[in-house]
Amino acid sequence: MGMLTYVLSRLAGLIPVLLAVSFVSFLLIQLSPGDPAEVVIRVNALTPTPELLAETRTQLGLDKPFLARYLHWLTHALQGDLGTRHIDGKPVAEEMARALPPTLLLAGTAAVVILLCSIPAALISAFFEGSLPDVVLRTLLFVSTSFPTFWAGLLLLWLFSVHWDLLPLSGLEEPRSLILPSITLALPYISTYTRLLRGSLLEAKQQNFVLYEKTCGLRVTTILRHIFRNSLQTSLTGLGMSLPRLIAGTFVVECLFAWPGLGRLCVSAIFNRDLPVIQAYILLMGILFALFKAFMEICAALADPRMRDRGKK
Amino acid sequence: MRRRNGLWALAVMVMLLATLAGCGNDEESRSAAGGRSELVYASTKDIRDINPHLYGGEMAAQGMVFEPLVINTDTGVSPWLAESWDISDDGRVYTFHLRKGVRFSDGEPFNAEAVKMNMDAIMANRIRHAWLDMINEIERNEVVDEHTYRLILKRPYYPTLIELGLLRPFRFISPRCFVDGQTRNGVSGLVGTGPWILAEHKDNQYALFTANPDYWGEKPRVHAVRWKVMPDHQSIILALQKGEIDLIFGADGDMLNLDTFAALKREGTFQTAISRPVASRAILLNAHQPFTREREVRLALQYAVNKRGIAEGVLNDSETVADTLMASSVQYCDIPLEKRSYDPARAAALLDAAGWKRERDGWRYKNGEKAAVRLYYNANNAQERTISEYIQADLKKIGVEMRIIGEEKQTFLDRQKTGDFELQYSLSWGTPYDPQSYLSSWRIPAHGDYQAQTGMERKAWLDEEITRLMTEPDEARRRAMYRDILTYVHDEGVYIPLTYSRTKAVYARRLKGVEFGLSQYEIPFEKMHF
Repeated sequence: MGMLTYVLSRLAGLIPVLLAVSFVSFLLIQLSPGDPAEVVIRVNALTPTPELLAETRTQLGLDKPFLARYLHWLTHALQGDLGTRHIDGKPVAEEMARALPPTLLLAGTAAVVILLCSIPAALISAFFEGSLPDVVLRTLLFVSTSFPTFWAGLLLLWLFSVHWDLLPLSGLEEPRSLILPSITLALPYISTYTRLLRGSLLEAKQQNFVLYEKTCGLRVTTILRHIFRNSLQTSLTGLGMSLPRLIAGTFVVECLFAWPGLGRLCVSAIFNRDLPVIQAYILLMGILFALFKAFMEICAALADPRMRDRGKK
Repeated sequence: MRRRNGLWALAVMVMLLATLAGCGNDEESRSAAGGRSELVYASTKDIRDINPHLYGGEMAAQGMVFEPLVINTDTGVSPWLAESWDISDDGRVYTFHLRKGVRFSDGEPFNAEAVKMNMDAIMANRIRHAWLDMINEIERNEVVDEHTYRLILKRPYYPTLIELGLLRPFRFISPRCFVDGQTRNGVSGLVGTGPWILAEHKDNQYALFTANPDYWGEKPRVHAVRWKVMPDHQSIILALQKGEIDLIFGADGDMLNLDTFAALKREGTFQTAISRPVASRAILLNAHQPFTREREVRLALQYAVNKRGIAEGVLNDSETVADTLMASSVQYCDIPLEKRSYDPARAAALLDAAGWKRERDGWRYKNGEKAAVRLYYNANNAQERTISEYIQADLKKIGVEMRIIGEEKQTFLDRQKTGDFELQYSLSWGTPYDPQSYLSSWRIPAHGDYQAQTGMERKAWLDEEITRLMTEPDEARRRAMYRDILTYVHDEGVYIPLTYSRTKAVYARRLKGVEFGLSQYEIPFEKMHF
């Protein structure tokens, strides 16, 4: 199978998945308890009188059957119209588009922090296996993973922002604002990747080619480079799949640092039961996960042609 | 080789530290330069859409930009955009003499025409103001001359002036902001006559209000107020400690929980202030449920709850114990009512007399039915949970089992509507809504109060009396009607008054002039200064 055919078939396979995602996200919201019309009225601090309820139901199209509503929503969503927010009537798509870049920035920086910390840590830990640096590093990482994110964030805030007054406390007003939130977001992942990478480094160290290279008298740095490259694939795939998780997992960090991203948009939508926003958020996350999975599979297929043929057997 | 790498690492670290330290110095010099002219207020909520004729925005922000004809003060209703008014003998016609020379901050004159345009827009959206009786009492309104405006009512609705002075909806937005002559579907700008101008709003980040240079009244003493949105309470406290914000202000634990308030007060680094009682916190006893249907049982529960314990133990003594649903300081509510203090022995005796006998397992039973109640609260409110646990322990002492159920807000509200509860939290709206708007809401079936009162023998009379009361022109008769209504509700024991809540403020020492408005929903920024 040619690479292009593989990519095209993989992308075509996404269509039913995305349709299913859209259906589930629509269904979930429909199944949530309470009358959506009443929710809209209450969220605007109004009294749900029968007249107002009837008017709102018609406005929201709730008087139409379920499938008709889904198709209406889907056709509009395909054109980029995700409805309007209950709370202020602003277009959901616009709000999501505004909140997405800060979240991508935060998740992207966190991914860089994860790589910058976990690669050296794994290298040290793997090549000095069992020695003091290995034990110290692993203990530190174990402790850092055990911190709940909000607590670690608060601690960092207090130390770097209040006590030493080195960094801004909240919001996205200057580039330095990015430092603490991205570290907080990255913390629980650093340990995971260090352990993942350390494991594959140790595994690669035991392989025959290392012994062969040693006997051939190759330079240590060259051997190290080969070990590293061979062990990188697993952890990179892991990191790739974690990117959507990082994007979806910014809730706590965004609230703590008053970061104007998607997580906060969704949290406030949940508190206000702003259903169109929650629905769009579920849809977006579903799409992100599906896309990243497809992307990582294509990357893996590029790197290893055996992967392409797997489906045929 | 190894040594060279070490040097590199050292150099990178030094550079990093220098950068960070340099940044810190920048920050210091910025705050040290000159006096502060911008007040930073942190709130967990964004101002959202502050269209004064709708209910989606933060009331405190609406009050900064938009002004009413009259305002509610400690001493009653006072002139504001109307300098004076006349009321016809039959109480139906209100003629307002408007203040001259007032302009909206976009330059539009504030005159009778603008008032009428605003009032018409509000009335065109009548369906959304159903909670406000006054809306249904307006017959028509007219422009008499440029500075005289007349409001004609169908009946002599007595709280007219009070309701005209509320934070919404009877406030005035520039005619230029109307869309197709209306405000109900959104406005093209947010321009008022108030002391502040909304200069910038970044959704869910901050709103910047600058002082209105042409304000007709006393001008604000700081140049700007930055309304900063910080969803996390702990971050807000850290920001205050760091000096990034100047003020935290709020009621009912939405901005400050009471433990934090007490801790900050003890610590003494910041100034703290607490308002006089503004609203009533109570537990609603549903007279429409099997166990709480009996009046003796409801009275027993009144004596069983240790309110002082709650005020001291849970609320850190920041709220005063309530003996009656409405504080005696509330207008028309200074009524001699029997005080029901904590008396578990009396509670037990009342239950015994009602036939609820204590069995060996410690609980009470009558005809094989166990004395058990459910108390529902909004799960987002941690304070209500703690109070519930306190009450649970109190009821256990008299042999009544209580289950505490925290529910998501909408489910909690749905439950109010269906009346499927024995006990539920109730918080009055506070001055100036108390007592008239609060009592008025008792007649709406979607409210928990209505459902809880349904089991009372004279509920129909109560609703009719409240309706009559609103249009009773004679002050003495009105007072007597309030007395009858509140006495009846008190005698029936459908509310366990707990405490009178207060608004709290914590602010930096440099900030002066922090005061409380009459309503818990307003923040008098214009009086604050450094």
